[in-house]
Amino acid sequence: MSTPTMPTPPSLGRLQRNGLAFGAVFLLGLAVGFFLDRHQFFRSYLFGWLFWLGIAVGCLGLAMLNQLTGGLWGLVPRRFHEAAARTLPTMAVLFVPVLLGLGSLYVWSRPEVVAADEIIRSKTAYLNVPFFVARAALYFAVWSGLALLVSRWSTQQDGGIDPARAGRLRGVSGVGLVALSGTTTFAAIDWGMSLAPHWFSTMYGVLFIVGWTLSALSFTIVLMARLSRESPMSEALQPGTVHDLGKLLLAFTMLWAYVNFSQFLIVWSGNISEETPFYVQRMHGGWGVIAVVLLLFHFALPFALLLSRPLKRHARSLAIVAGLMLVMQLVDLYWLIGPDLLTQGRGHAPLRFHWMDLASALGFGGLWLFLFARQVRTRPVLPLAEPAVRALVDGPQGAEVVTS
Amino acid sequence: MASAPHTEPRIIGPGHTFATVTDKIASLVLQKKTPLGWFVGFAVAFGLLQLLLVSVALLLARGVGIWGLNIPVGWAFAIINFVWWIGIGHAGTLISAILLLLRQQWRTSINRFAEAMTLFAVACAGLFPIIHMGRPWVGAYWLLPYPNTMGIWPNFRSPLIWDVFAVSTYATVSALFWFVGLIPDLATLRDRATNKFVKILYGMGAMGWRGSARHWNNYEMAYLILAGLSTPLVVSVHTVVSFDFAVANLPGWHATIFPPYFVAGAIYAGFAMVLTLAIPLRKFYGLEDFITDKHLENMGKVLLATSLIVVYGYTMEAFMAWYSGSTFERFMIWNRMFGSYGWTYWVLLFCNLLTPQLMWFKRFRTRAGWLFAVAMVVNVGMWLERFVIVVTSLHRDFLPSSWGMYSPTFWDWATFLGTIGLFLTLFFLFIRFLPAISIFEMRTIVPEARLEEERT
Repeated sequence: MSTPTMPTPPSLGRLQRNGLAFGAVFLLGLAVGFFLDRHQFFRSYLFGWLFWLGIAVGCLGLAMLNQLTGGLWGLVPRRFHEAAARTLPTMAVLFVPVLLGLGSLYVWSRPEVVAADEIIRSKTAYLNVPFFVARAALYFAVWSGLALLVSRWSTQQDGGIDPARAGRLRGVSGVGLVALSGTTTFAAIDWGMSLAPHWFSTMYGVLFIVGWTLSALSFTIVLMARLSRESPMSEALQPGTVHDLGKLLLAFTMLWAYVNFSQFLIVWSGNISEETPFYVQRMHGGWGVIAVVLLLFHFALPFALLLSRPLKRHARSLAIVAGLMLVMQLVDLYWLIGPDLLTQGRGHAPLRFHWMDLASALGFGGLWLFLFARQVRTRPVLPLAEPAVRALVDGPQGAEVVTS
Repeated sequence: MASAPHTEPRIIGPGHTFATVTDKIASLVLQKKTPLGWFVGFAVAFGLLQLLLVSVALLLARGVGIWGLNIPVGWAFAIINFVWWIGIGHAGTLISAILLLLRQQWRTSINRFAEAMTLFAVACAGLFPIIHMGRPWVGAYWLLPYPNTMGIWPNFRSPLIWDVFAVSTYATVSALFWFVGLIPDLATLRDRATNKFVKILYGMGAMGWRGSARHWNNYEMAYLILAGLSTPLVVSVHTVVSFDFAVANLPGWHATIFPPYFVAGAIYAGFAMVLTLAIPLRKFYGLEDFITDKHLENMGKVLLATSLIVVYGYTMEAFMAWYSGSTFERFMIWNRMFGSYGWTYWVLLFCNLLTPQLMWFKRFRTRAGWLFAVAMVVNVGMWLERFVIVVTSLHRDFLPSSWGMYSPTFWDWATFLGTIGLFLTLFFLFIRFLPAISIFEMRTIVPEARLEEERT
């Protein structure tokens, strides 16, 4: 019953080193930006941080979902999902600068604006700084708590599957998914929607739940395809599993389009002044070009490609589509919060890229990948006690036949 | 678990073979004596159906004035019942199409009657938009875009016209899917029937099925294509139904969350109805080996998951109504909770928020009695949800001078109960004359069928 020592893919070590170097360079650039344009610094900071946070939260969701549903699509990357989720405490610390820049980001945090604005005044029971901070603390407490608990119990299963612990894991995952949906929704409202404090949409939380799951899924596919060149993932990742991941990617690509189009159609049909500014802002000028780019490359092209069965079964090809989806998720986030970051919910702002946006997205990317790789390397990369996974790794080598 | 190394949950009782499965299911249809219980049930259902005929006849003679409709509540029981019935149908399509594509084997014993349920529910649903026009014989001209000398077209921007296409497509595809699925079983019945007349009837339905390899090959392909076609319909139909409300500007209707929340609600209501039908069916005909506790438990889980999505919808509606800062939105949610119909909202929360939480516990998920009770509560809850959405939103709109109240008349209730009669009548006929569980698909999950295909 000895657990064979499992090699950690060497590329993870490289990822950790390069991620740190890459992240340090770009975040240093971003830090320089702080002294050049403080308002822009906070805008870019929020954008970059939120994108990578989404992947971590999405991975936590996938980890818990797989505890409930089972299936190799989540068993094979399970340790990676858990590692991604364990970056959440650090991501919470990285939220602190956002709090320092509240005045630059959220108009409702400025008393003189609130005093002059009747609509914001009517929501101060929710939109006020202490409650905002308390809510953020709650979100991170829930996310970090779930990440650590699920990771710990799941890792303990490596020493031998304990049915009681498996039951507890399922219970925590079920309740956890409910908690995760609720906290993600309100986090989206707090950090994204309240940038334009007049505007509201009941679908907004769903856009983030779907978007973050899509990001996490795309990240998983890219990572699995990259690692499939090395042992042990080369044995563990079978075409059937890749196929399932591809089907999930297709499903979430369609779901993303579905929820976004539904919101658009309802707002467009309603045509009332409380709601339309959101789309008026995002459908004209440069933002309108991005909207078309999203339509084509976040939906039409990947949808058409993902219909192909051979593509979905081939890890590297699927990874190209997943990579595109990751980039498009970044563009989507830029389109969702970008206009409001510039205008703070009032008036129009033409599309304007800033080098700090890029520096932030890349810098946080490097930093997060470093955190992630560091976490991955603390545990075996496969949950070998799971019979389905064990069969994959032992099967070809024929080392031992699993009989109970 | 103790006997065999395979850890798959058991979805068929022990000891079954090809022959026992076929005998058991076919005997429900081909038995000589109809059980007395069937006659009793059918009589009740048929009685309610007569109530529907009387109600509709009176409606056509006198007009929609026999209902409680008024201004501002110009759209009450007809749309509530339409949405309730069409939602119920969705579970059938989900089970037959989506669970097939997801390779969920447990769907096998419940898909046939769930699909039948879909068809009958769509029939009941379709009745309401037609009869609520009062003069259905001129209805084609409001519903269908056809070239006419008056140059009058329906409003293509109206989701009501999208509904016409969505629902008619849904009915067509569901009927095809159901019928195609029946063909091999009709052939089985044809071959086993002893009465010449019965043999000919089933033979016509079987369309010359001989079970050759080529037949099976074409059949599997057709079935998969139909499953693929049905899958988007599970989502699209109720999405369009939600647009009926959401594209309007009425507070309480105009919410962007409506499409996914309605779709989840439809599946939720549908699974409750599947349980409502499956539990008595398996008890009465002794089908516990086929519709096992595992099936019931899985359906309980689906019920829980979809109820949570529906509750998410309620939460978002309530929160955003407040967060919007809009007087009208805030009043809408206050009125929903504490207005004249406030009690309906709290009963609705009891039915759809509290009750399904029992499904967290295996104890309740695996007891048929509890599940049946929960399913009945959910059936009521989902009807109330539509009542709350339609009536409380309409009766207090923007202008206090145009506020009003709504109360259903005897004929509103009679029409609604009548459609339940129609539904049950069709269902009783179905279980008497057609195999309520797919014989040939059940044969694929008996141990005999598991040859050496354990290899991937």
